[in-house]
Amino acid sequence: MKAELIRAKTMTSISEIKEPLWEVIDLVKRYPGVLANDHVSLKLFEGSIHGLLGENGCGKSTLIKMLSGVQPPDAGRIRCRGEDVQLHSPTDARAKGIATVFQEFSIVPSLTVAENIFLGRLPTGRFGGVDWTVMNREAKSVLAEMEVDLDPEDITGNLSVAEQQLVEIAKALASDARMIILDEPTAALGLSEIDHLHKLLRRMREKGCAILYVSHRLDEVERIVDEVTILRGGQVVRASGETEISVDNIVAAMIGEDVGEHYPKTDNSREEIVLEAHGLTTAKGVSGASFSVRAGEVLGLGGVLGSGRTEIALGLFGADPLLEGEVRIHGKPVKIKSPMDAIRAGMALVSENRKFDGLFPNFAAGGNITTAGLSNITRAGFLDLSTEDKVTAEYIQKLEISPQADSKTINLLSGGNQQKVILARWLFCNADILIFDEPTQGIDVGAKLAVYRLINELTAQGKSIILISSDHDELLAMSDRIATVQHGTVTGIAKASELSHVDLVKASSDEATHKLQESAA
Amino acid sequence: MKRIFDAQLLGPAIALIVIATLVALTTDRFLNPGNLSNLSLQVSIVALIAIGSTIVIITAGIDLSAGSMVALLTMLLAEMLKFMGLPLPLAILLVLGCGLALGLTNGVLTAYLRIPSFITTLAGLIAFRGLALLFNNGSPIFSLDPNLEPLFYGSLLGIPLPFYYLVFFYGLAAVVMNYSKLGREIYAIGGNPSAAALSGINVRRVQTYAFAIAGFMTAIGAVLMAARLNSGSPNYGQTLELQAIAAAVVGGASLAGGRGNVLATLIGSLTIVVVQNALNLNAVPTSVQNIVLGMIILAAVGVDMWRNELSSKIGALFSFSSAKQRGA
Repeated sequence: MKAELIRAKTMTSISEIKEPLWEVIDLVKRYPGVLANDHVSLKLFEGSIHGLLGENGCGKSTLIKMLSGVQPPDAGRIRCRGEDVQLHSPTDARAKGIATVFQEFSIVPSLTVAENIFLGRLPTGRFGGVDWTVMNREAKSVLAEMEVDLDPEDITGNLSVAEQQLVEIAKALASDARMIILDEPTAALGLSEIDHLHKLLRRMREKGCAILYVSHRLDEVERIVDEVTILRGGQVVRASGETEISVDNIVAAMIGEDVGEHYPKTDNSREEIVLEAHGLTTAKGVSGASFSVRAGEVLGLGGVLGSGRTEIALGLFGADPLLEGEVRIHGKPVKIKSPMDAIRAGMALVSENRKFDGLFPNFAAGGNITTAGLSNITRAGFLDLSTEDKVTAEYIQKLEISPQADSKTINLLSGGNQQKVILARWLFCNADILIFDEPTQGIDVGAKLAVYRLINELTAQGKSIILISSDHDELLAMSDRIATVQHGTVTGIAKASELSHVDLVKASSDEATHKLQESAA
Repeated sequence: MKRIFDAQLLGPAIALIVIATLVALTTDRFLNPGNLSNLSLQVSIVALIAIGSTIVIITAGIDLSAGSMVALLTMLLAEMLKFMGLPLPLAILLVLGCGLALGLTNGVLTAYLRIPSFITTLAGLIAFRGLALLFNNGSPIFSLDPNLEPLFYGSLLGIPLPFYYLVFFYGLAAVVMNYSKLGREIYAIGGNPSAAALSGINVRRVQTYAFAIAGFMTAIGAVLMAARLNSGSPNYGQTLELQAIAAAVVGGASLAGGRGNVLATLIGSLTIVVVQNALNLNAVPTSVQNIVLGMIILAAVGVDMWRNELSSKIGALFSFSSAKQRGA
């Protein structure tokens, strides 16, 4: 890491001499009520990975949208090799050599991998028909260059989320772009896949690409980027070269204060066992998982993407029916056949993918908060809406949710606010056992801290938490014990204090090698 | 009350007022008391059916079977009154029960057997009219019961009875959709079925209820149709389902689910009927009327889509999105 840092510094001095490939000068973008970008300037150099960081709502996405031609700036200039250019549309931006991998996938699930890679510019043959041979061959060579073992003729929708993400990246690479923008490319990836992606990005850097990299996972940012620009409230608060690339410095610049402790963990674990799971087995890849959770404890589930962590949570919560296994709560066996049963038994699940199975985009905060506990505010079939309003106002205040949440539908809020609303949903149910699946994914540092504090508060009340996280620092710091999960079963449980990053990575890499052997066989 | 009369009503209401004003200014007979009461009769059947269509649309489904179900149920009512000699109240109750059962069938096929509602109700659209033809060798049945017609043409305190039906059922629907647990669950499963399931909502059951409500409202429409014409016929109710869906869409309901408002649907029904009435008064041929109806649907949906873009451009001035939106 030292070497990286030194290189970063030399990079900065080089950048003062070299001409930037792309440059944005004083970009301004205003939305109703918000100045999303307030005179943002940025230089992107060939052969450099530039981190663009900031809390949710700081204006990163807006800047990316303008750079990829999705939206025009209100004022300011975008220059390519020193010349002013206008980016009229995403196609226009792509023609000028900018490829963007958006946070929201632009993959068409029903098409093959190759078709997705060449979408919008399918190679055509003599009579204007698609030349499948050429397309599949070229897709294969792009994937081979990425060292990704995917069949170009596979249907993309059948792939795992991580593999789809790789297809998305392949799509950007195949377009021979000189500048690649990656918006949270690792949100859906496991550790080995992230390493893989980083290798790939370094290779692209050697080839002279300019890369703009956006991520909330600061540990990986620290490893990969050469320079960082930090935005806050639509303005550049630290231009390239002004921040030393270390998590502490970046966090301080992002939130504008020194947070000191990133993981304010308090130990609230008690002896009493609340939940016991024996031999949980589901049709979706959980095979004989056993573990127990104590009162006031945070039990972490560690393991790579696809190891079955999420599936264990879904099985426990009744979303995937249990084929075998027993769940006991406070020593008494309970039958959980549906989420309804789980909620009645005092469980809660903050699911992995907010957009897909968490949010009700048609409701403001109120409707989103009360859905899982509607019976708490129902009298004779009718809702007590004044209580709902009161409860909503309380949670907005308690969890420091944006006051706009009260009136705006939730799809208009930032990821951090959305996540807090979903947490409020389960607090409102007064659940005793809360499963948090990637609770801090894609949310900013401030919101992450709020989630950690909430975990402490809940455990202090004696509630139990099952924490699933791909962020190893978070998992190690916030868990009392960690269960490592492989192939849908728990392979070991240890105290978090006795585990290290290395142990978790090792568990993951065992998994990775196993996967490789499987695919080789 | 703020919850029921929310921002969703504003757009459709303004459109209706503008259209009605234009019509009143250009067509003398429009404001005649006779014409206005005729209007409320005209709108009543489609508007009552549109309550069910709207609720189904909010669950992200669609009900194409309403028109054919009306034909089947008028024939059933006629058969029971004319040939089986059942007393009128009993026959009506049985017809309402049958509507509920047919709606439940649509719901079970869609929710539990997971056949898309477009297909289940398309099958209903075709099959129900076929069933209607099985009665009386496929011929209409006339002169049903002397007490049937007054249900449609009667009046109370000088106001036609259908007006009261509209007030009652729309009031009930608005309260259920905005204040009841079921209403909230209907909006929830339309907004995000996966999230609704993980929140402990029985998605399939709620979906089934929505279709059952639609079946019941269709049966109400069928009884009024039979009363209006004092007969049953396998030809009644053609394209009625499309008019009801059009009313919901003009009222701002989204076919993607999760968005819609029953009172806005009433405004949508009125808009459509006012335009039809104006064209009738000006002796415009049916062909042109249908073209105009098509245009209205396009304009209503278009304006709704563009409004969001406009509001983001022009800002708070024309933005309705800042107003309190609850489940709508």
